[in-house]
Amino acid sequence: MSDDKKQDKKPTKKPARARLDANGDLIQLSDEAGSVSNTALVVGVAGIAAAVALSGGPMTKQFQHSYLTAYMWALSISVGGVWWVTLQHLFGSRASVVMRRAGEIIGASVWVMAILALPLLVPALVMHSNALFPWVNHEYMHSNHVLHAKAGYFNSSFVAARMVLYFGAWIFIANFWLKKSLEQEKTSGDVGFYKRLQGNSAPAMIVFALVVTFCAMDFMMSLDPIWFSTIFGVYYFATCVLTFHSVLVLTLMWLQKTGHIKKSVTAEHYHDLGKMMFAFTAFWTYICFSQFMLIWYANIPEETHWFLMRMEGTWQDASELLVLTHFVIPFFGMMSRSMKRHAGPLRFWAFYVLAVCWFDMYWLIAPNLHKEGMVFTLSDLAAWIGMMGMVAFGIIVGAKKVPLIATGDPRLKRALAFENI
Amino acid sequence: MATASITNPYQGPLKGDNEFAKITDNVARIMEAPKPPRAWYIGMGFALLLLSIFGASLGYVAWEGIGVWGHVHPVAWGFPIVNFVFWVGIGHAGTLISAILFLLRQNWRTAINRFAEAMTIFAVICAATFPGVHIGRPWLPYWMFPIPNQMQMWPQFRSPLEWDVFAVGTYATVSILFWFMGMIPDFATFRDRSTSTVRRMAYGILALGWRGSSRQWHRYERAYLLLAALATPLVLSVHSVVSFDFATSQLPGWHTTIFPPYFVAGAIFGGFAMVLVLAIPAREFFGLKRIITMKHLELMAKVILGTGMLVGYAYAMEMFIAWYSGAMFEQFAFVNRAFGNYAWSYWTMIFCNVMAPQVFWFKKMRTNIWVIFFISILVNVGMWFERFVIICTSLTRDFLPANWGDFIPTGVDYATLGGSFGLFFTLFLLFCRYLPMVAMAEMKAFIPEGHAHDDDHH
Amino acid sequence: MTMITTESERDKDMTDHDSQAKAPLHGILAEYDTPTAVVKASKKVRDAGYTRWDTYTPFPIHGIEKAMGIKMTRLPWIVICAALLGLTTATVLQWWTNAVDYRWIVSGKPFWSWPANVPIMFELTVLFSAFATLGGMLFLNNLPLLAHPLDLKERFRRVSDDRFFLLIRARDAQFDEEETRKLLLETAPVVLDDVQEDRTTSAQIPRPLIYVAVLAVGLSIVPFALFAKARASTMEEGRRHLVWDMDFTPSYKAQSFNPLFEDGRSMRKPPSGTVAQGHLNADDHLHLGKLPGGGWATALPREIESSAQTMELGQVKFETYCTPCHGYAGEGNGMVHQRATALKQGWVPPTNLLEERLYYQPAGELFNTITHGIRNMPGYASQLDAEERWAVILYLRALQESRKTPASKLTAEERGQLK
Repeated sequence: MSDDKKQDKKPTKKPARARLDANGDLIQLSDEAGSVSNTALVVGVAGIAAAVALSGGPMTKQFQHSYLTAYMWALSISVGGVWWVTLQHLFGSRASVVMRRAGEIIGASVWVMAILALPLLVPALVMHSNALFPWVNHEYMHSNHVLHAKAGYFNSSFVAARMVLYFGAWIFIANFWLKKSLEQEKTSGDVGFYKRLQGNSAPAMIVFALVVTFCAMDFMMSLDPIWFSTIFGVYYFATCVLTFHSVLVLTLMWLQKTGHIKKSVTAEHYHDLGKMMFAFTAFWTYICFSQFMLIWYANIPEETHWFLMRMEGTWQDASELLVLTHFVIPFFGMMSRSMKRHAGPLRFWAFYVLAVCWFDMYWLIAPNLHKEGMVFTLSDLAAWIGMMGMVAFGIIVGAKKVPLIATGDPRLKRALAFENI
Repeated sequence: MATASITNPYQGPLKGDNEFAKITDNVARIMEAPKPPRAWYIGMGFALLLLSIFGASLGYVAWEGIGVWGHVHPVAWGFPIVNFVFWVGIGHAGTLISAILFLLRQNWRTAINRFAEAMTIFAVICAATFPGVHIGRPWLPYWMFPIPNQMQMWPQFRSPLEWDVFAVGTYATVSILFWFMGMIPDFATFRDRSTSTVRRMAYGILALGWRGSSRQWHRYERAYLLLAALATPLVLSVHSVVSFDFATSQLPGWHTTIFPPYFVAGAIFGGFAMVLVLAIPAREFFGLKRIITMKHLELMAKVILGTGMLVGYAYAMEMFIAWYSGAMFEQFAFVNRAFGNYAWSYWTMIFCNVMAPQVFWFKKMRTNIWVIFFISILVNVGMWFERFVIICTSLTRDFLPANWGDFIPTGVDYATLGGSFGLFFTLFLLFCRYLPMVAMAEMKAFIPEGHAHDDDHH
Repeated sequence: MTMITTESERDKDMTDHDSQAKAPLHGILAEYDTPTAVVKASKKVRDAGYTRWDTYTPFPIHGIEKAMGIKMTRLPWIVICAALLGLTTATVLQWWTNAVDYRWIVSGKPFWSWPANVPIMFELTVLFSAFATLGGMLFLNNLPLLAHPLDLKERFRRVSDDRFFLLIRARDAQFDEEETRKLLLETAPVVLDDVQEDRTTSAQIPRPLIYVAVLAVGLSIVPFALFAKARASTMEEGRRHLVWDMDFTPSYKAQSFNPLFEDGRSMRKPPSGTVAQGHLNADDHLHLGKLPGGGWATALPREIESSAQTMELGQVKFETYCTPCHGYAGEGNGMVHQRATALKQGWVPPTNLLEERLYYQPAGELFNTITHGIRNMPGYASQLDAEERWAVILYLRALQESRKTPASKLTAEERGQLK
């Protein structure tokens, strides 16, 4: 990747933005790279449209389930971003400062997800279609006393209000961090500035924890309204962390490949991200196993039927495959130090983790549709590809508007020089 | 600073012309002083008194049988198990500080990690006594281990109680290994400073001949990283396994999937509070204020606030799902906790765990030693009550009203609980006197003077 | 900065001068007072091509590994092997003991319950790994190493405090006393010194320690020897009882006196409110003849079918229990009545069940009378259960109805049967 060629192609009509003093890195998204967002959007729309066509309509069960699977996968990425940025502020972390802007951009792309929720929420809440959510059906919710007790919770207006709250909170927090981070560039290394942000991050984290929990419950746990699990929010949260880190790795690699921030983000930073991917693979396994083992052990029918659904026919194979692909393979694959410090392996594992997280969402959602066994349809694939496009679109569009590194943060120097253990 | 007095030989100026020597002197003089400070004697007296109460009550229980405790049907698990979970939980903060903060590169941990690890080991020892004595026939604990026996039977590996044996055993062992390994360079320091032959030989043997070779440091650091990487999932697993004791049952209030991470968060929460309860007097009486600074205390107060919020999240989740599930037994369990016979314990728990730490939002509060000390004690009380609420209250009111029964602790229960603190403090005070209280080598690596400045690097 | 050790400093060395003074050279030792100095010196020594040399520091210096050219250790591989061994051990242990050797069903779980076995698999993996980490580290580091020539240098004691040392061994291929000394002088150490081989410390383990070790090993074998003896032999006497209370628990017979309870009874009543299975008797209509809103029931409870079977049952029970007093027709002239009248001792005759009053009495009230008795009549609840009593009432209603039925309603055949 010759820097010179790319720089020659840069149009001269735009004034050159500030480069990073020490490294001379390009921190403004080039027009070429920015134009990828258009392709992404086209892929996004096309993918979703294909999913609609392949499943016979936007209100069909197949489309709704395929779409929800891809949607929860995509949502976890930007939600993970919101969490990660909040965490970096909470811990006063120095090493990640160089990557934080990228994280802020990813988190801020949650607005796209808010809009993309409409194909799920409008049929359910406005048109009262129970193609996806059983709780839309009044009769069903009053068919036994357990469901009757929570029927009010699933009242359309209440659900809609909660959705507004969730996305409102995420959009607010994500944009708050981005805005403050941009503001910081105008301050001259004011330490008090980021100390105050640290103070803000604590309540933000509390709000985040509650929002991600209830959102996961509303979208996925409610697909089986009788079933419940107190750890469900934490389970989805683990996925958010994994997908976000993978996307962060891939985003930084793409930015570097297209000529930006080449010297600023080093093997040390990727090593850190790789460590988080490894650690949270283990964490996901811990949460998943806890949920399973406790329900298996007590053997209470209200709880076990959810797992039994995932042990009928080929779903049993799917469950075993999930353990193999989401735990065994990545755990051993991502253990070594060198894997995290070289672009090739890290890129592979980032894609791998993203794929396997989609499979996890599929395993959570699809058994409600395909009760006899695992069925992959083209509409699943199309919806997923569509969401990939949308995710990329959201990120790149956001990246166009801001410098790619938080230059205003006085801890940046330490972050650039950061060396791992 | 006052001149060194008989009651407090550690408040004098430090010897040494550079920062490294000062750190060494600050820590080593605690061991080298001819007599420990008066506060140590007072503390030791009190601790030994409690320890003898502990020994006496355990002996009494072994002699008379566990009927002398308040156990009554249906509350078959009373204070002993509450105490067990309480002590194991306290141990977790030490491992968090040693291992997890290490992995997160939080270098401020070097001031407190040594004695937090020591605290872990002593807490685990206290914890381990309870399963040992509460089994009714304390001369048969070897049945818990897979040793071939005359009945040709094996332990029941499908039981969470058996998992506990392995988990707590592994945790104790790994903590001791980690603690010991961390102390090797510091034993070398003590050895090299020793004036008496006995001391030199004792510390010399413990130091295993460590001389600080960089090639050895390299492997040592790798080993430290590996142990930290092993200890991190281990500490998560241990309290998760302890939580499985309850969560694998079907009892409302016990059986819920969030228990594993909830218990771990609670353990860290309570453990940090205990670290503070120990650190605040220790830095005062042993003259360690330069090392364990206000910044460290403030950071720990923040951790308490953070983990307290995690615990609060878990409480909220339990209550929400109890409502959401529509299961009347589950709902009753939570209503009963808040408004039943033991409501006073529930509200104590809520006050101490959720409300009290909220003062740490305010900087003034988290930089005031007395406030930190007081809130830490409240948190410890609250965490003990949390286990009491979960274990005892849930048992008093289970599925069948005919099976309901109240639990009234006896004097022996209280004596055993209080006495366990005696064991803990005795061991801890001995540690303070004879072992390196602060990780000197680790601290030296992280002060600015410890960095090698390389001109050609950057 | 002083560079060469002085005579007086050499005197401080903890040596036996005679034999030690003649000892060959072990290496040259340079002392520094900052980490930067020792790192710079290391780079020089590394670049000069030395291989048998080392630095000694009170704490690990960041960057010295690169400066010295230290290669990454193999320790992680040792640990991972131990981890796999631990995992295998845990799996095989649990499988063999619970699923093969001594199988017993516990709460319906399969013999090989892998979800229940995972926690211990994890713990043993970690345990074995931890032992391998510490043990491996000590082994690779050649520790414990309780004797070393450097221990003879008084100044070297500061290595665990605040000084940094660099030692080039005489055994190094490139070692040359002058050249090496010159190289080290260029690094500007605080002190430069020679280290002699240790000729004073014995390499042997001290005698007392050997005795202690042998004794310890010997003593530790004793318990196993005792176990082996116990396994291989039989005992004439019975088992030794250390805790009599538990081995010989006092047992009490149901009718015997029991000092443990206030009322002295061994046999305990069930807790108040206990209901035997099948005896909850929640249905008031069936068991009391009462309606939910109050008042007597007039119809059969829904559990009782108004059928020929019930009628037959009722007839059988009526004829068994009621006829002695009330007679076969229910008129009150049963054998007991006849006998009692003959005795002329004052007798209230049994009620004529066919009278008007009883014809209109609600069935529930009749039921109540049968259950609890009335005046001289005892209650029959213990002889007839609820269904049987309702059957009797059905039969009784048939009797009452039969009295009210005019002959015109009978068939010809039935009329023929009348006397």
